This record gives sequence, C-alpha cells and structure tokens, in this order.
Amino acid sequence: MNRRQLLTRLPAGIGIAALSRLLAADDRKGIPGLPGVPHFAPKAKRVILLHQSGGPSQIDLFDYKPGLSKYQGIDLPASVRMGQRITGMTSGQSTLPVAASTFKFARHGQTGTWLSELIPYTAKIVDDLAIVKTVHTEAINHDPAITFFQSGSQQPGRPSMGSWVSYGLGSENENLPSFVVMVSQAHALNTDQPLFSRLWGSGFLPSNYQGVKFRASADPVLFLSDPKGISKGTRRGMLDSIAALNQQRFRDTGDAEIETRISQYEMAYRMQTSVPELVDLSKEPDSVFEMYGPESRKPGSYARNCLLARRLAERGVRFIQLYHRGWDQHNDLPRDLALQCRGTDQATAALVQDLKQRGLLDDTLVVWGGEFGRTVYCQGRLTESNYGRDHHPRNFTMWLAGGGAKAGARIGETDDFSYNITADPVHVHDLQATILDFLGIDHRKLTFKFQGRHFRLTDVHGELVDQIIS
Amino acid sequence: MRLIAILSLLSAGALSAKVDFTRDVRPILSDKCFQCHGPDDAARKANLRFDDKDSMARVLKSGDAAASKLYQRISHEKKALRMPPPYSGMSLTDTEIQVLKQWISEGAEWRNHWAYVPPQRIEPPAVANREWSQNPVDRFLFARLRREGLKPSPPAGKTTLLRRVTFDLTGLPPTEAEIDQFLKDRSPDAYTKVVDRLLASPHYGERMAMQWMDLARYADTHGYHIDSHRDMWPWRDWVISAFNRNMPFDQFAVWQLAGDLLPNATREQRIATGFHRNHMINFEGGAIAEEYQAQYVADRVETTATVFLGTTLGCARCHDHKYDPLRQKDFYRMAAFFNTVPEKGLDGQKGNAKPFLALPDEAQQKRLNELKSAIAGRADILDPFDVAVAQAVWERAQFDTVQPAAPRQGLTACYELDGSLGDSAGRFLNARLLQGDLNYAAAGIVHRAADVDSSDRIRIPAEALDAGKPFTMAFWFRIGRQKAAKAFQQIAGGAGFEVGFGTPETLPRLRRGHHLEIRWFDAQGRELLLRSGDWILQGEVYHAAISSDGRTVSLHLNGQPAKLIEVASSLSAPLSVQAPIEINSEKHGGFFRGRLDDLRFYSKPLSAEDLDLLAVRYPAEVLLATPGKRTREQWQRLNAYYLKHAASPAWRTAAAELEKLDEERVELESEIPTTMVMAEMEKPRDTFVLGRGDYQNKGEKVTPGVPPVLPPLPAGVKADRLALARWIVAPENPLTARVTVNRYWQALFGYGIVKTSEDFGSQGEQPVHPELLDFLAAEFVRSGWDVKALHRLLVTSAAYRQSSNVTPAPREKDPENRLLARGPRFRLPAEMIRDNALAVSGLLKDNIGGPSVLPYQPAGLWEELAFGEAFSAQEYRQDHGDKLYRRAMYTFWKRTAPPASLNTFDAPDREKCIARRAVTNTPLQALVTLNDPTYIEAARSLARHALRQPGGDGARLQWAFRRATARRPSASELKVLRSLLRSQSETYSKDSASAASLLEIGESPVDAQASPAALAAWTNVCTVLLNLDETITKE
Repeated sequence: MNRRQLLTRLPAGIGIAALSRLLAADDRKGIPGLPGVPHFAPKAKRVILLHQSGGPSQIDLFDYKPGLSKYQGIDLPASVRMGQRITGMTSGQSTLPVAASTFKFARHGQTGTWLSELIPYTAKIVDDLAIVKTVHTEAINHDPAITFFQSGSQQPGRPSMGSWVSYGLGSENENLPSFVVMVSQAHALNTDQPLFSRLWGSGFLPSNYQGVKFRASADPVLFLSDPKGISKGTRRGMLDSIAALNQQRFRDTGDAEIETRISQYEMAYRMQTSVPELVDLSKEPDSVFEMYGPESRKPGSYARNCLLARRLAERGVRFIQLYHRGWDQHNDLPRDLALQCRGTDQATAALVQDLKQRGLLDDTLVVWGGEFGRTVYCQGRLTESNYGRDHHPRNFTMWLAGGGAKAGARIGETDDFSYNITADPVHVHDLQATILDFLGIDHRKLTFKFQGRHFRLTDVHGELVDQIIS
Repeated sequence: MRLIAILSLLSAGALSAKVDFTRDVRPILSDKCFQCHGPDDAARKANLRFDDKDSMARVLKSGDAAASKLYQRISHEKKALRMPPPYSGMSLTDTEIQVLKQWISEGAEWRNHWAYVPPQRIEPPAVANREWSQNPVDRFLFARLRREGLKPSPPAGKTTLLRRVTFDLTGLPPTEAEIDQFLKDRSPDAYTKVVDRLLASPHYGERMAMQWMDLARYADTHGYHIDSHRDMWPWRDWVISAFNRNMPFDQFAVWQLAGDLLPNATREQRIATGFHRNHMINFEGGAIAEEYQAQYVADRVETTATVFLGTTLGCARCHDHKYDPLRQKDFYRMAAFFNTVPEKGLDGQKGNAKPFLALPDEAQQKRLNELKSAIAGRADILDPFDVAVAQAVWERAQFDTVQPAAPRQGLTACYELDGSLGDSAGRFLNARLLQGDLNYAAAGIVHRAADVDSSDRIRIPAEALDAGKPFTMAFWFRIGRQKAAKAFQQIAGGAGFEVGFGTPETLPRLRRGHHLEIRWFDAQGRELLLRSGDWILQGEVYHAAISSDGRTVSLHLNGQPAKLIEVASSLSAPLSVQAPIEINSEKHGGFFRGRLDDLRFYSKPLSAEDLDLLAVRYPAEVLLATPGKRTREQWQRLNAYYLKHAASPAWRTAAAELEKLDEERVELESEIPTTMVMAEMEKPRDTFVLGRGDYQNKGEKVTPGVPPVLPPLPAGVKADRLALARWIVAPENPLTARVTVNRYWQALFGYGIVKTSEDFGSQGEQPVHPELLDFLAAEFVRSGWDVKALHRLLVTSAAYRQSSNVTPAPREKDPENRLLARGPRFRLPAEMIRDNALAVSGLLKDNIGGPSVLPYQPAGLWEELAFGEAFSAQEYRQDHGDKLYRRAMYTFWKRTAPPASLNTFDAPDREKCIARRAVTNTPLQALVTLNDPTYIEAARSLARHALRQPGGDGARLQWAFRRATARRPSASELKVLRSLLRSQSETYSKDSASAASLLEIGESPVDAQASPAALAAWTNVCTVLLNLDETITKE
C-alpha cells in the first residue's frame, strides 16, 4: 500500500496522529526530481555556494601581480584597457592610476600557490582547491552581474541556479527544503550592496523551487514557530483536526489536491522539528566553534552560516547558498577588504576542512567567489595607504573544492595588470555548466519550456571546464 | 512532450482518428525541428524550413511516408543520421514519429498557424442536451464532451456556486446575508440576479485589477538594485475604476498604450498610460544609462506582445524568432514605438522617474497657487540685484572694520584645520595624523577645513580635554554617507568618552539623519548616553558645542540650545578619562567620514553669548575679513547672515517670511502624489536593430512598424503609439480579442482555452476548444469589447455552474479538466486567501484605492537585503490601525523582497509581466496560514464573533464553519470540531498564561467581555477553520 492509497483508505477522523508518525518514518527518501535526472553518474550530490557579494578584489587576494608596483600611480596604458567599457563611477575620472596591492603575497601548500596575507586560513586548504583566475562575466554593475551569476541572465525573470538544481534533482530530505539560502552582513564599514530575492527565486519555474531563506531570527524559516500560547500538544490537536476535516472533504469531493495538502501540513509539522534541530548548535563541541572562529557563536554571522551549511549538507540539502555582503571596495579597500577577510577567511576554510574530515567533501561541491572582480586602477584618491577599486568583469578569481573538483588545479592566466585574460577564459556560463556537470546534469538537457522556448541555466552557451573536473 | 501526451489523451485515440495538422503535427515540428528548420534565417540548416509549406514540400511525398525524406530521416536506423541530431539535445518519441508518419500517409495536409487566421464567429453546434445547456458556451463544450464520451456534472450546490462566483467576480467571499438571500430566492433568475449584483459591486473592479496588475508588472518599488519606492497607485486606482465603469476593453487598451496622444488628452487618459511605466527602473551607481533605457523599451515591447498579442516577441530581441515568423527587425520596429519617451536610463532616486504627472487635489492646488504668489511677492521685495549691491556695500564697509574674534577664555586647544593639525591656542597640543592622508578643502567654513576620510586616524593630546570636569567642545562638521559612526573617542582601560552619530535613518523627503550621541562609560559597563533630539542630516553643515559643568551636559547646534535626551544613565555623571582623543580609532571602531573645522576645547562651559558668537558671528566675520573671490557656498552663507542680521528691517522680514513660505511649498509639493506617465520626446530617438540585443551593437536604423505576419497598419496614419494601440484593438487583428477572452477564461476555469495564455505562437498550446475560443473572441468584439458582458456569459454557463467534485472517469481521461466535465476547482490566489480570512473574521477594511499599505511582516526582511542610505523603501515601517486590514492587493509590493506571505502562495515579484501564476501546494504555505499573525488575529476575531452568536457551542461552531466555507458542516465534521473545542478549552482553562499570550497576537483590541480561556480555545478552532483546504479553495 503506498501513501496515497493509505490516505484515501483511512477512515475519517481517526488515527491521523498515528498516520503522521507513519509518514515520518517514510520521510528520508526525499522528493524525486525529474525523470532521467541526473543524466549521468554525479560526482557531487550537493553544492555549497559561498557567494561573496560585491566583487572581492582578485588583485589583492589571489591574482598576484608583483610587477605592478613599478606602474604605481601611472595611468592604465591604453594598450591594456583596449577601449573596454568601464562603469559610470570611474569613466569620469581624469586618470585611471594603477594601484598595486598593499598586501604581501607568499607561496602556500605543496602547490606553491601565491596567496595574499589577508587569507591565511584559505592558505592552509589551498591544495584542496581548484582555483580559476579567469572567470569573466558580461555585466559591469552589481544588479545585472549578480543576477547573471545566479540565473545565467542579466535581466530578471530566470530561475536561479539552486532552483534549477532542486527542480532537476529534487530533495534528499523531505523534511528540509532542497534549496536553502542564508545571508550575512558585511564586516566592511562602507555601505553594503543590496541583495534581491530574485537571486534565489524560481523565475518561471513554480515557486516551490525557490530558495528558502534561513534567518538568524527566532524563526529560522518564516512563520516556522507556533505562535506564543500554542504548545506542541495544542498544535498537534489542531493539525489532527485539520487533517480529519480535509480527509472528509477529500472523500466528498475526490480532489487529489487535498491529499497533497494533508501531506504538506504534515511536512510543515516535521519541519518544525527538523529545522530547529538543524539550527540548534548546542551539541556542537567547542572545538568546532574554535575551528570556524569566534563569530560562529553569533547567529546570523557568516561563520555561523558556514557551520550551518555543513549541517545542511549532512542532512542532504541539495543546494546551500550563502551570501556575504560587503565586498564592494570602491574606497578604503585596504581597511575594508581586510575586515571582510578577517570576518570570513577562517570560517570558509573551516567549512572545507570540516566537510573533508567528515568525508562529506567527496560529494559536496564548495564554490567561493563574487559576481565580478575589481580594477587594477584606483577609484578616487590614490594615496600610499589607501585606494579603492571599481568593478572589473573581465577577469576575476573563484575557487571550487570537493564534489569532483580537481584539488590543486590552477586554471587561467591574466596579463600583468590582472586586466585581461591571456589564457583559458572561463565564462560564467561555463562555470554554471560545470557545476551542473558535477551534479550529474547535462546543462543542455535541463530545460523548462516557457514562452515557447526551452530555457536552461546556461542560455545557449556554456562549455565544460575540463581542467576543473577531476 | 507533455503537450502531446495531453493532446493525444484529449483527442481520444488520436492515432486511430485522422491526424490534425494544427493540433498534432505542427507542435512537433515547432518544438523539435524549427530550431534549425524554422523562421530564423541565421540558424537554418540545409535551407529547409518547416514553417513554410513550399520549403517543406521538398521533404514530403504526400501519401507515402516511406518515400518521404522527412520520415526517412526521423526514423533512420543510424543514430548519426537520425533527425533531430544528437547535438541538438532533442529527440522524437515513438508516438511523435508515428504521428508524422500517419500525417504524411493521410496526405500531409498543410495549414497556416491558427492564431494568425482571424477568428470567425462560428454558430454554436446544435446539441440535444437543451436542459443542461445554458448558453452557447455550453453547446460548444457539450458537443466536445459527447465526442469524448464524457458527461457534464450536475450543478454545484447553491452555496458552493455562490462562493465560487463571488470570489471570481469580486475576490471576496459572500456574506452571510448574501448566502441566505440566495438560498431563499427560488426564482429561476436567482443566479443571474446574483451575477448582476456582483458585476455592479465596486469590488468587481478590484478583482479585475488584480489580474491586470500581474500583467502590467505593477509594483511600489523600482525593482533594480536599490529598489526604492515609486508611486503608481493612481494608475492602479484608475484601472479599478475603469473596470467598475465597464470601460470597453479596446478603449481600456488604447488609453493605457497611448492615452497621452489622444486629442486633448485628459488627466485620466494620461494617468492610464502609466501601464508602460510600470516596468523596472534602475539607478545603480555607475550603471550605464543607455543600457537601461534600451531595457525599458524592450520591456514595453515584450509586455505589449504578451498582454495583447499573446506573442513571444521578446524571443526576437537577439535574433530572428526560432519558432514564429518574427524577425529581429520586427522586434526593433515595435521598439521604435516605445523609444520616444523623454526618460532617462538612470532615474528614480527620489521616487517617480520622469516623465510623471503631479496630481494635486483641489485644496492642494489652491494652497500651492497661494504660496507661489506669496513667494513671488517676497521675491519682488528681495530683488537679487538690489540685495547683491547692498550686500557688497555692507561687505566693503565691514572689511575695513571687522575684527573676527572667537572666545579665548578657557581655551585649552584649538585646531583651525587650515592645512595642519597644529594647535593655535598656544599650548602646543598639536594633533597628529597617525594614518591616512588628510585633505584640506580650500573653501571651508572658517577659512579652510579638513575632509576626513574613514581611513584617516588623528590623535589629539590628552591634555586638550578632561571630560569629567567642566568643559566645552565645539566644532563645525558635515557628516557624509555612512553607517553609525564614532567620531571622537577618548578611551583608557575600559572607560571612555565618545562623541558620535547613531545609526542613520531615512527621514521624510529622503533625507538621511543621525542623532548626535555623547557617551561616557566605565569599565563596569555603566554608561551615560545622551542623544540629540534633533536629526543631524547627512550632507549639511552644523556647528556643535557640547558643554558640561561636570554634572549637567548641554548641547548647542548652530548656536542655538538643542535638546539632549538621556538614553542610558547607569552612570550618573560624566567621568574623566586620561587618554588622547582619537578620531577614527581603528581599535575602537571609530568611523567618521566628512568635514571638520575649527575644533575647539575649553575648560569651562561657554556662555550662550559666546556660543552664538562662535557659531554665527565669528565665521561670518572671518569671511568678511577674508579678501579674494568667494565660492558660491561662501557667498550664500554670507548672504544668509546678511539677510538675517545686517540688512534693512524690511528685507530681514521678507527674507524670514520667504524662508517659511518656501519650506511650506516644499512640504506641500512632497505631499502631492505623482504618477508616472508616457509622453513623447520633441525630437524622438532613433531606433536601431541591436545585434544580439546589445545596446552597444547598433545595426540597421528602423522606423516604427508592426510584424508583417499580422495585418498592416492602416495606410496614411502616422506610425506612432496611438496608431499601434488602435491597430492592436482593430477588428482585423487576429490575436487581441482571442488573447483577452482566453485570459478571462483562465481566471474563471483555471486554465485558458489555450493553456499558454502568454504564447499563442507555434510553441504555445493549441486551443482545446478552438471554435469556442473563436466564438468568444468574435462575440467580444461584436459586443463592443464589453468585459462585464463577457463575464456574464461565462459565469452563467452551465459549465461554470457545475459541481467541481472529481469523479473517476473524467479524472483518468482529462486530469486537468480541460474539457470541463466538471466545474473549476482551484486553490485561491494569494490575495484572496488573505482577503477571505480578513473578511470572514470581520477585520477587513474594504475601502478602495489609495497609497499602498504595510501590514504585518516579520522583522528584518527588507533590511537584511537593503542598501540603506538615503533611499526610500529600505526599512519596513509597519502601518497600524485600519491599514493592517486592507485587501492584499494594496500591500506595498517591493520587488526585491515581495510580501512574504503572498509570495509563498505564488504571488509573483512583479519584475516582469506575468500572464498566469503557478499554483503550488507547499509546507511553507501551511506555516503561513497557521502562524502568520495576520491569520492568528483573524482567527481571534472570528472566534470573538462566534462567541457572540446565540445558542450553544454547536450552533456557534456551525456559524463559524459557515463563515469560513459558506456551507454548514456535516454531523461528522461538527464532531471533529466539538472534540477539538473541548480539548482546547481544557488546555486553556488550566493555562491562563498561554491563553493571554495567544490573545496578544495582533493589534486589534481583545474582546474584554469574553473569557480569555474560551476566546483562546475558540481562536485555535477558528485557525483550524481558516486552514481547511476548502477555505482556501474555490470549489
């Protein structure tokens, strides 16, 4: 007897509580995705996307350019800029003076990777990472660039990566959403760039595929907690009555949608246990908090969200997306970038390490990066100790770890100014295609017909980045 | 694939019956072949196109599939040679191959795409079942049902039908009285009377507007990036009123597309054009204006095509359409109609973007006129030339005599900030720059001034200030864009003294303000925190003077006493801190960006006269004593000083009055609503084909025009928006009427006759009832585009009035109920779920229109994503009172964070035009109706009314059940409710604290007469009622 038969055969008004327990026993099987998906054996079962919103400076973190100091303060040569468009924030500047990074770089790991002093913890896991220095995007401003990164299109209206994945693959855990989003606020002192719910929206896919935001408030999921004055027992009684009455209505009307509703109420009830259990870190040992850093004890922080991401991964959540705000260093870069790194570096590295030591990194893909990079030239006043950098879509650095990404891979070369790609460009669509590939999805085949067209995450583009794939 | 599956189901054994080209074949060709063999010239392979009869004939041998190249290739045994090729990602199913084979065998009959053939008014088929049939709609449907071997359902019960039609026509549930009256009315026209009543209800227009708002992508914010607010509610209210007046749909369309171009356009006609200003608008810093202006135009094209033509013209933005006969050039010729608006690519920082229309009411207009004339009068007195001459004379006289002198008595340190950090008080307490690079502005406030960057760290010797003893600290400042800021900090060993600025808030007229904060704290965590009552606005210059006599602290702003509010006083008095004063101490999280000037420390509280001298006279006198050219700002400051202190009494009076009047004018103008409208540029922009849709990639220049696949614009008419609008609603247009009636059908029956109501093209669904669609379209035009008449026709059909109970036979054959062997049955749209809860609980405030409202919403949903700074709609400031209970359609719609509870029930974010919503069924929806305070409060209110009903619990439960669902509960349903009530009552009678907590939810007053335990128990029973599937379903 399957669940549907069970529900339809149940006599009205009795045994619903028992039924819910019965259903609960059944829940680990998850929610199926599309038939035939995955298209081939996946390397990763889930993705953790650590989105650093605002555009972290590749020049000050990963893309070491020791030769820049000799150009310090000199106008960016036209031969480098090659007439490429720049934003309205610097297009009016009389000069575009080159600003070398004030941060020290050193080699790390067996791979001998050059990294900035700002990310000492990342340095410790650097051999686990596949680093791509040549990601490039089409947009030059935040809204279109971050929308492009998440949905494959600069203009709103398309589903986000996570909703494509949950549409295609379904969920491994019926008691948790398959696509979870967490937002943390900047460490930098200057204003943060805004975020938009479309970034985890489902676009033209049905709204049940949209990301569910887990928040640091008393209700990790909107309206999760029972209202004050309603105990668990009281609520159970109410739910049993709703189920009993809906059951009667189902018998009277024969509408299968009512059965679905009954099961959705039960799932809501189970989420009321599974989500608080998930966000309850009281059983995590001190060593874990030490690993993720002091902020991991602070709800809503990036470090805390990293720790939660591991717990979500453990529970089979398919797509886990963090957004950390504050990487938009138009000015005061030395101070604010340092603050951003101080606030995130340890937790980011801890997440990779933690997944690794739990054996989860093999089938969990972790991706780190922003929506674009930053210019080699200074925005605003260039002084010895201070500078800012504008948006740079032509090349920026991202890294991937685990889940089929080739540890130690180093992809792409940029010119001496970190301004143009000289070898192995990786377009955002390429990266998206590759992320889907890790999940066993052929990006050309995961489509949804809307307005007559078979839409996909990568539009009509996207080439797999073979060098990242282990 | 899915389409085929359903169609073959619907056509009941399609393969045995004759294959129909339009229904069965074209969709396969379109979906699987057109990409390479379709309308797109650039993508075409082998010079073959299957959307063209002649071209296709090359691969067909009519009547002989085996000899047809088409069949040979799709059934080729070699994978590499089989069409579609593997790299396309496409493949044909066996059924599809069979369909194509059979079609060829049957003669390969070709027909043009149905939607471009104008609808013909077909006589409804004669049917035997006269008894069931109520009107022509039924005759079409019944004939089809009979063909499929299905039977219609019996009529729905009266209450079910009344609830269904009331929701469909007004978006609200029927009232008790309406139910009773309908039940009582046994006359044959009882139902048509109800329909007439509903069509006449003012809520009819609201219901119709709800659908139109999705199509028109209505929202209360701009959508991109910072996503601050806009005012388009006057447009929304116009839509409601147009529907209520039953404005003919053709007129409704023309006004919205081109009302401004009508001869002598009225205010109303111009408001209507807001339709095409509802698109998203951007002003992200650094974005490129041209890129976004092109986007706005494209959005208008796409929306126009979707809403009126059911055409995916947007697919031709980057290249020729892959499926429909639309070229890229057609897209840009259409764009040329909409590229003539005098708009900026980046706009909307302060609300509506240009062009917009101010909408003063009569009183406002009158007062505005008065103010303008009063201001003109004062301005006459203060003739700029006379004032300038007189001021110049005064200045020259002053220059010789003035001896600027600031108070010196008690001065411990003075930093003039005129190019160094030196102390001019003579005590050598020079400050030091620890980090950064201070910039000194040439024209400061008192001589020059220092522009402090947040990376500049400055240290002032400890001896300058003992904050525990009597002192005055005075400085000029202007605070720039920033978050909360500590400017001055004197900290040692856990104790400290700080002067800073609190978390900024956005104030009326989008000014951004902080409170100045003065704080002492000790190592034990005790503090004395004082906050200015006034707002310190970002970007404005102030003089601040903080004085203390050792116990009492006072503040002067611009020489005037200013209120200080004691926020925390666990520390009873100021304390001394022996430490240097730091500006922007990194260690202590200092963060100040802005201008500082003339920073002084005194070892005594200065007198009122001294403070006035310091803030008013001294800087003016310094200016007067400074030779050389003045900056505009300096001249203005001096001018203000002159008109306030030195000019003739008549001028001083006039200047004071002018300032007041002007302030009132600004205030009044900010209160007058505006709405964005369409307009034409005097010199229109040129429009070009944009390669790949990229604004930088301009190709051929184009003139306005319509796609050649559709009828042409009438000859001799100027090709402008008005011509386009009239063309759209011309009777020859094969699409508009079909698309429109289809969407009204969709709203009532759940799916359109063409399910893809946004796409009537090749890739869209073929109509399930083609003749009926054409009949309705023709009838709609014939009636003069009478929307209410169309609704009357549809809701009085027997098909609409059937029971929606699901029975096995049709469920198997027609799971989506497209053939309508039963009535429609769907979960209510998001707005109606909320409106229903508010209505049945008696909380609903059903007044129509006005600015959007901010009901309950979990804290932080906007703020955690927002930009902040001096923009609107960054902080959610929940409304109170009646505004909490308005209909959901009036909820403030912020695009980047749409209303959470509505969004959960599939309400869109309104970034784009939406022609149909998904209907999902998720656990998060259960959490909303169970736990959102809106619903708890509604349950409490419903409970309160239930408790006031006569009779015992049984009667009350029946009453409440009927309120929620419109019908009476069965005995077994009642039993469930009774048992629930009993257990809930027991719980709360033993736990009054829980009862009290539950009843606290929601801002409406709690019924004092009811016992809290009973009310709490009943509240939960009512929550159950509001959560029933039936309650949130249109049955």
